[in-house]
Amino acid sequence: MRILRALSGLTWRLLRGGGVLGPLLTMAAVALSTGLLLFAVGANHAFAERADADAWRAPAKATGTPTAIQAKATDSVRGRPLTIVDLAALSDRAPVPPGMKRFPAPGETWVSPALAELMRELPADQLAKRFGGAPAGTLGRDALEHPDELVAVAGHTADDPAMKAERPKSGTLDTIAGPERIDAYATGAVTTRAQTYRILMYVASVLMVVPLLVFGGAAARLTVARRDRRLAALRLVGATPGQVVAITTAEAVLTAAAGAVLGTLLYAAAIPALARVRIAGGGWYAADLWPGLLPLLGVLAAVPLLVGASAVAGLRRVVISPLGVAQRHTPPGMRAVRAVALVVLIIAFGILGGGVLRVGEIGAIILLVFLSLAFLALNFAGPWVVWVLGHLAAATVRRPAGLLAGRRLIDDPRSAWRMVAGVALTGFVAGFLALLNPGAVTTGPADRLELAVPKERSAAVAAQARERLDGLPAKVTVTPREGNDIVAATVTGGEASVDRARTALAGTVPGKVATAPADMGAGTYLLADLRTGSLTVLIVSFLIAVASAGITGAGSVLDRRQTYEALRLAGTPLPVLDRARRQEVLIPLAVMGGGSMLTGLFFAFPFASGLGSAGTLTLLAATAVGFAGVLGASALSRPLLRSVTGE
Amino acid sequence: MNDAILHGGGLEKRFGSTVALNGIALTVGRAEAVAIMGPSGSGKSTLLHCLAGIMRPDAGEVHLLGRRIDTLGERRRSELRRTRFGFVFQSGQLLPELPADENVALPLMLGGTARREAVQAARAWFGPLGLAGMENRRPGELSGGQAQRVAIARALAARPAVVFADEPTGALDQATGHDTMRLLVEATKRNGASLVVVTHDPGVAAWCDRTVEVRDGRILARDGAC
Repeated sequence: MRILRALSGLTWRLLRGGGVLGPLLTMAAVALSTGLLLFAVGANHAFAERADADAWRAPAKATGTPTAIQAKATDSVRGRPLTIVDLAALSDRAPVPPGMKRFPAPGETWVSPALAELMRELPADQLAKRFGGAPAGTLGRDALEHPDELVAVAGHTADDPAMKAERPKSGTLDTIAGPERIDAYATGAVTTRAQTYRILMYVASVLMVVPLLVFGGAAARLTVARRDRRLAALRLVGATPGQVVAITTAEAVLTAAAGAVLGTLLYAAAIPALARVRIAGGGWYAADLWPGLLPLLGVLAAVPLLVGASAVAGLRRVVISPLGVAQRHTPPGMRAVRAVALVVLIIAFGILGGGVLRVGEIGAIILLVFLSLAFLALNFAGPWVVWVLGHLAAATVRRPAGLLAGRRLIDDPRSAWRMVAGVALTGFVAGFLALLNPGAVTTGPADRLELAVPKERSAAVAAQARERLDGLPAKVTVTPREGNDIVAATVTGGEASVDRARTALAGTVPGKVATAPADMGAGTYLLADLRTGSLTVLIVSFLIAVASAGITGAGSVLDRRQTYEALRLAGTPLPVLDRARRQEVLIPLAVMGGGSMLTGLFFAFPFASGLGSAGTLTLLAATAVGFAGVLGASALSRPLLRSVTGE
Repeated sequence: MNDAILHGGGLEKRFGSTVALNGIALTVGRAEAVAIMGPSGSGKSTLLHCLAGIMRPDAGEVHLLGRRIDTLGERRRSELRRTRFGFVFQSGQLLPELPADENVALPLMLGGTARREAVQAARAWFGPLGLAGMENRRPGELSGGQAQRVAIARALAARPAVVFADEPTGALDQATGHDTMRLLVEATKRNGASLVVVTHDPGVAAWCDRTVEVRDGRILARDGAC
């Protein structure tokens, strides 16, 4: 116990006496990592909450005696999708929908707060008249995906034609459903759309979290870089390896714990801003973005532990020998098995890849596993490639900077890899997303409202439509199609006229809503969100990667300060040292960044039709930002180099 | 002192309120080996740093071959250190990732010599310094004495006018230290270069032609050739 007290006292003194720069940088890095980790966890939680909120609107067939009929349609107002849930009770045991106090009576409409507000803002003939009468109640948040969502729940009698007419299937995005006889809402069913968003968020999390771990490791090593000499001195005066490990771990864990708490506060502070990021047409409930107590505690415990473990790994050489850094030998060569793992994975994916998507949810899980493995394999192969490149460079270069860089790559490929790992792995992300990044979202006309009507009724519906649209700048036509005819109203005069026409046409065909080709709604959002998401993931990855390169660069200068100082005293121009450090980074970055990008492209191949202009742009931008970022980060440690060499 | 290579006169240097050099003058002749001795904190390393253009004195002048060097900018002084001076420190001066021959070749390459010639020229030093067969070893695979001999080869590789050595045997045992000093003095003289050695070891100083004793930033005594 006394030893423990003595050790903790020593740790505290080392922490306080060792200069503030290292711990501060580590703390900042850990804070950033924790914040981003919480963002990943929080965003997954938020998408899960949205999926739950959305689930009740997709009616599931009753397992017992049906007590209600439910149907869904998606209308549009001011270019925003408006979900209409139609309900009719079959008995007085009809289940109360989430977010409502009671089952809606026939003729009643309950609306979401955002819809209520819009109904107040817009003239009644553009929106409110679609529902007949003032809203009977406001939908609570349990019924809503996000605060901006436009939802109306309309009560009907069971024999209302709207509750009887079969509605057309709406493809995969569940914009239309039913009518279905139900007996409960919480059936655990998740709509395809919600599921798609959740899977994409999982993919994004994997893409962000792996570089985050690399980053955390780099930060932890920075603590060690400044302390290895003093810890080696401790070993010389007789501290056991266990004690040195204990001191280092305690120091790193303390710093990281402070960073983790700071990161949590940062994330909490960022929530109001994050809640305004519009996905699927709206922002977020702040509470949904909060990851929940248990995941939060998990992150707060895991981050310091990981940083501690990473610091201990970085200290191995000090622990092994009291002479620590002074004792250096020819490092053992890297084994080619590191590259073999990546090649095997690529071949395995090449064989399985195309089939992955066809297996639904399990396919998605396999894809996630493959993505994680690809990251790990790239990270595992990285040092070997760096080592090979070092040999190539050392054998062929003529100038001193190139020689220094090549020899350094051979000497410590792992640390050279750490410097570029983040950006190289982001290359994988960019490659993967480039193929998934949709080009411009093409939409149809927004001024042509269409209703699919059975052939025998198309003339009557067209006549009714003309009558309802009387006085509006609209022209009604009937286009014969196989199956149903299309009764279309082409409306001039902009959004307001179109909304007026939509309101006038509401209920023309029971259970059907006139839609414009541009209304794609959820589909359009999904494509746009995919792009927002890709961009967010890329930016986040790059931020992490560049910060990581900066921190590793600083750590490497601190590690080698003695040599740098001797070189400068002997007259080595600092630009040569700078050039060597730059090449040390650029050679592996060019090869591994490019390699990772190609791997990313390969892994996205089964899901993409081709590399559009947006994809090419993503790749070019990623390459430019990657190189500029790493060079910038490396330039940031130049003043540090000047200061350790005493210039 | 005829045929002076290096001359420092009226050198003063302060670090805050501490006076490190207090009007020191020192001249080093061609192929002369001078030992600077003194207790810790006496100012001997500061004197070496001022003479070698690593540090600028607050007052006084430093001349190399009649040309004033203490007023040059950092770039020129850095170039001077690379081309006209050689350095041997106590330890840590060799790049751990470079094999011994490339460590020696580095100053030549920095001076613009092609890599192949530089390495060839570097290897020529290994035999005379008793390092034959160690060309491909890394510093971590050399003993302390061998590493210092590689450092000597590196200091001489660019054919400097003056070699500065700061406690070159400080990390070595007595026998190895004396061996190293003998090689340092012999090789330096054989190449027509002068030698300035900072040490607190009279055994090391004994290898030099002359010893100057520094105390509190002043030169106390000079003795003749050993």
